[in-house]
Amino acid sequence: MSAVDLTQFHKTFFEESREGLDAMEAALLALDSGATDHELVHTIFRAAHSIKGGAATFGFADVAAFTHVAESLLEEVRSERRAVDSGLIEVLLRSVDCMRAMLERSSQGQPVADAESEALRVELVQLVSGEVAAPAVAAASMVAPVSGWNIAFTALPHLLQTGNDPLRLFRELQQLGRLEVVRAFVTDSAPAQLAELDPSQCHLGWELRLHGAVARADIDAVFDWLDGDCELTIAPLAEVAVVGAAAPATSGSPPAATGTPRPVRETAAATGAGTSGEGSSIRVGIDKVDALINMMGELVITQSMLSDIGEKFELSQLGRLRDGLVQLERTTRELQESVMRIRMLPIGSVFNRFPRLVHDLERKLDKRVKLELHGEHTELDKTVLEKIGDPLVHLVRNAIDHGLESPAQRKAAGKSETGTLKLNAYHEGGNIVVQISDDGAGLNHAAIVAKAQQRGLIAAGQELSDAEVAELIFQPGFSTAAQATDLSGRGVGMDVVRRNVRDLGGSVGVRSVSGKGSTFTITLPLTLAIIDGLVTAVGSERYIVPLTSIVESLRLRADAVRRIAGGGEVFHFRDEYLPIMRLHRAFACNDAVTDIEHGIVVVIEEDGRRVGLLVDDLLGQQQAVVKSLEAHYRRVQGISGATILSDGSVALIVDVGGVVRLGQRSKAA
Amino acid sequence: MAKILAVDDSASMRGMVAFTLRGAGHEVTEAENGQLALDAARGGSFELVLADVNMPVMDGIAMVRELRAMDAYKGVPILMLTTESHTEKKMEGKAAGATGWLVKPFDPEQLLATVKRVLG
Amino acid sequence: MAGKQAARQQGTNEPPVKASAAAPAKAGDAARMLLPADCRMAAQAALKAELLGALEAGGIVLDGGQVERVDTAALQLLVLFRRELDARGGTLGWHGTSDALNEAAGLLGLAQLLNLPATALA
Repeated sequence: MSAVDLTQFHKTFFEESREGLDAMEAALLALDSGATDHELVHTIFRAAHSIKGGAATFGFADVAAFTHVAESLLEEVRSERRAVDSGLIEVLLRSVDCMRAMLERSSQGQPVADAESEALRVELVQLVSGEVAAPAVAAASMVAPVSGWNIAFTALPHLLQTGNDPLRLFRELQQLGRLEVVRAFVTDSAPAQLAELDPSQCHLGWELRLHGAVARADIDAVFDWLDGDCELTIAPLAEVAVVGAAAPATSGSPPAATGTPRPVRETAAATGAGTSGEGSSIRVGIDKVDALINMMGELVITQSMLSDIGEKFELSQLGRLRDGLVQLERTTRELQESVMRIRMLPIGSVFNRFPRLVHDLERKLDKRVKLELHGEHTELDKTVLEKIGDPLVHLVRNAIDHGLESPAQRKAAGKSETGTLKLNAYHEGGNIVVQISDDGAGLNHAAIVAKAQQRGLIAAGQELSDAEVAELIFQPGFSTAAQATDLSGRGVGMDVVRRNVRDLGGSVGVRSVSGKGSTFTITLPLTLAIIDGLVTAVGSERYIVPLTSIVESLRLRADAVRRIAGGGEVFHFRDEYLPIMRLHRAFACNDAVTDIEHGIVVVIEEDGRRVGLLVDDLLGQQQAVVKSLEAHYRRVQGISGATILSDGSVALIVDVGGVVRLGQRSKAA
Repeated sequence: MAKILAVDDSASMRGMVAFTLRGAGHEVTEAENGQLALDAARGGSFELVLADVNMPVMDGIAMVRELRAMDAYKGVPILMLTTESHTEKKMEGKAAGATGWLVKPFDPEQLLATVKRVLG
Repeated sequence: MAGKQAARQQGTNEPPVKASAAAPAKAGDAARMLLPADCRMAAQAALKAELLGALEAGGIVLDGGQVERVDTAALQLLVLFRRELDARGGTLGWHGTSDALNEAAGLLGLAQLLNLPATALA
């Protein structure tokens, strides 16, 4: 039983191992592109080495065993006994994947090694020239039936400078048996004059006897660290026949049988239960924490100033009170921003996946791609960041699979054989924009139209603008698993990408120029946790409409509204007819304004599609901290969450995407 | 109880070492590479240094060499924490002036036993 | 701690290596020198300077009663001091030896070479 609970370090270990594997992968890919940098090799080795050490220490024996072999292979590279070629990079990249998967399973308390990892391990073993240094096997214990040992030990002058003190050694020997100093002497290396002595140089020697049935290996263990720092002779005391013991060693090199690692404990099983409810953590730069503390300091000052005014308030102090409140508002907002910044992480952590993906796709699809990453430092909310990965992967796959042409086609089109794929992230207004652009063939207008017709998405002979054609690829049912390739498809179409992005409160669109390439643009909110909203009244209820989606608010005259078949209402707005969505009807509110002339229509937009929301009145703008309805109640169609207003009442936040879809459906119906 | 400097770039290993030693009553200072360890060493008189071999910025072996060049650390025990069973690394460490080593994986008891062994 | 400071003061108050420790003592009397609580390597440059001074005095009584921390290097320093003192015809006497000092000297088998009182060996 260990007194120290090692499971508390598991999470840190998994986190740093993931980072290590990412670094390893990045370095392998850099090596792959022709760089022969020793530092890269060291980085790769170091990562494997740390993972192995940690895995073994924290009880993940399978991970340690696998990494051990990978490390042996890397050691050959590091010591330049093995050249780096693409075959080696491939196998090491697969090893990275494998270790990642093994660690993932470890962190979830699942069985770690599987057939795949075992096969790869065997493959690595075969690659490593010679035999893999297996974890040191304990040398057969040499139990000596002796009455004791003669030990002649003479320090070499530098002994003390290694931090090894004979006092310590003698104490250890004393633990083994009765230690007798037969003779202690000053060696010839000692200076004749005290004045010339360097106290850190050792000039002493000893003849020792260690009495008792002491194993030779135990004595060797005491002197284990002193190889090359002393002259050492160890011999049995009497001429008793020694069974199994080595002949008396006369050199200063004890056998290397000591310091054998103990078998790793199976601590993994014990942690399994704890990992399922593992809270995710976040690494925060110290600057962000400092900013918070600064804000906090200002808040405290403001608070004390206000309470000072409150203590003995007189009307003459109204001005000061107002100033204080303004200051409070400013500081609160800044504090809020600082707190939100804690959740912000650079998008680079997602971008970093792509060099590997592109590397793999190039090989599978026989294309040549130059990947450019820009704006890796752009920060995104952690939740958004975690969920944006899959849509981005899909878009990148798609760009390489469908967007970029084969080298031959590119050459024929007068382009460079290597296509360029650019990922860019930047801030724009209150949003984050992520662009994936390629310099490929662009969307194939004719093919898309043909397919859309075939799938019944548009009528035959319908004339479509470029933008409308581009929109088609996002339609559900446009791409199907049957036609999607193994790579880009996986049965998932662009409609799913759009839905995922919308779930994050964002939007996605595409621009394409035939023969020049395509650019997919994803626009995401800075954070999911706080929105700027317009508070509206509907009956006795309050609904918040996200400000970013509002086009205009207007009063309509009754004659501006047309009824259409199926009971829907539309109105004319900037050259188009928009459906009217009566919020009181959609959400069954009592006492609401039902006469359109007396209410207000708020035009909202999502992905270029607009709907007019009928509300009673506009109450003002407010920032709303979004609380999940799902977490506290259940999912409600058309509502993305709830928030608490300044008077303490609850307001619901309108899910613009959902409402627009509902409205469009009613228009179509 | 002793003042100990624990040097490792791996936060989990460093954490484990520090936690174990603190549990045994030692005063532990942590550093995540050799360079930071040297800075810490200049500012404090440590009685034992435990250091990983492979670290970025400054590895354990270079760190030992630098420490040994400092008067205050001529005779202070420095243990290398290493997974390398290869003798070359150990010898390289020794040549630089390391006292000995602790082979990873080690559990808290082994760590404490070794520390006790060195501190006497 | 106190011992260490005392030793340091002695070392720094007397710039020349000359037999300062012996100076306050009457001629013929063996000078007394206090060994610091921590005699380990970092303290040995100062200790050595003091011992060199004592060599000149011809004889010395070491007070090892305050010694708490000691290493092989410290004992070696004393052994070599004794050896040179002997060669010069001086004598090394002890006034007080701490347990730590006795234990270390006993373990290393240096008690005799240091002329430590017999009680040192348990």
